[in-house]
Amino acid sequence: MSRPDIDCVTEAEGCVSDDSLHRAAAGESAAFTALVRKHQRSVYSLALRMLADRHRAEDLAQDVFLQLHRSVASIESDAHLSFWLRKVTINRAIDRLRREPKYEEVSLDESLLLVSAAPAEDPLLQRQLRELVGRLPPAPRAVVLLRYQEDLDPTEIARTLSMSINTVKSHLKRSLAILREQVRDTTAVDSGGANPSKLDPSSPNVDQ
Amino acid sequence: MSNHLDDQLRNALRPVDPGEEFTQHVVQRLAHDKRRSRWSTPAGLQWLSAALAAAVVLGFLTAHAWQVRREQQGLEARKQLLEALRVTGEKLDLAYRVVNDEAHGTAGENSGA
Repeated sequence: MSRPDIDCVTEAEGCVSDDSLHRAAAGESAAFTALVRKHQRSVYSLALRMLADRHRAEDLAQDVFLQLHRSVASIESDAHLSFWLRKVTINRAIDRLRREPKYEEVSLDESLLLVSAAPAEDPLLQRQLRELVGRLPPAPRAVVLLRYQEDLDPTEIARTLSMSINTVKSHLKRSLAILREQVRDTTAVDSGGANPSKLDPSSPNVDQ
Repeated sequence: MSNHLDDQLRNALRPVDPGEEFTQHVVQRLAHDKRRSRWSTPAGLQWLSAALAAAVVLGFLTAHAWQVRREQQGLEARKQLLEALRVTGEKLDLAYRVVNDEAHGTAGENSGA
């Protein structure tokens, strides 16, 4: 189900051979660096869209990889590694949002610069969607990110977030309904103003 | 509409690569953490424990050697004291015999006269 990762030729470009995990577990620095290169897109993007702040996201993503370095011996396979990284990233992000629920920081707009190379059908709509996803409460936000950024199915999301599959489906359904409604409203009014009552009041301000 | 929103969400939430700078930051932080935790890792603690144990053993051996040396000095002093007492005893015995002999000689002369 997962999207294919970056095409690469050498380990230096982020390509991870089958035994890279084992070599990283054995303490080989180059193999661990290759693991970082391979997974940093996913980890950083999850952190960025959970926290809506580039600096905090980078800090959190680095912490995740440092934790991985300590635990890499317990990782059994590449699939296990992806699962472990997503789980740790989301849990750490939710912990930070609980500890620091109201920080005023730069918006997800900064990330727009970073994705400008990506093919876009409607850049304005995509921007609105990122902002609206950033306003969802942490748990539904994590569900939406794992579904649409990481391409996980509800069963995998439930396993990653330690939720029941019904809770995942419920979060997805409600989040999509909110997003659809907000997109329709903003398109109709053409003002970009979302109804904050349906969104998380403690979430980071993404309008700046 | 639902499929359209799904596609738009997938496009909007496409993963972002933080770049090579991020990788280097992780590598630098790892190196920094390794340096900092050298003495707090199990290997560092093993070194510390071994050094502590060696210091305790060395201290014990030093104390033991010092005690043995003191005992030997005590025995030597006792030996010297006994030797001194023996020599003194011999001298006293000799002096007694001389005095005693002289006293007997004087008494014999007096009774002969």
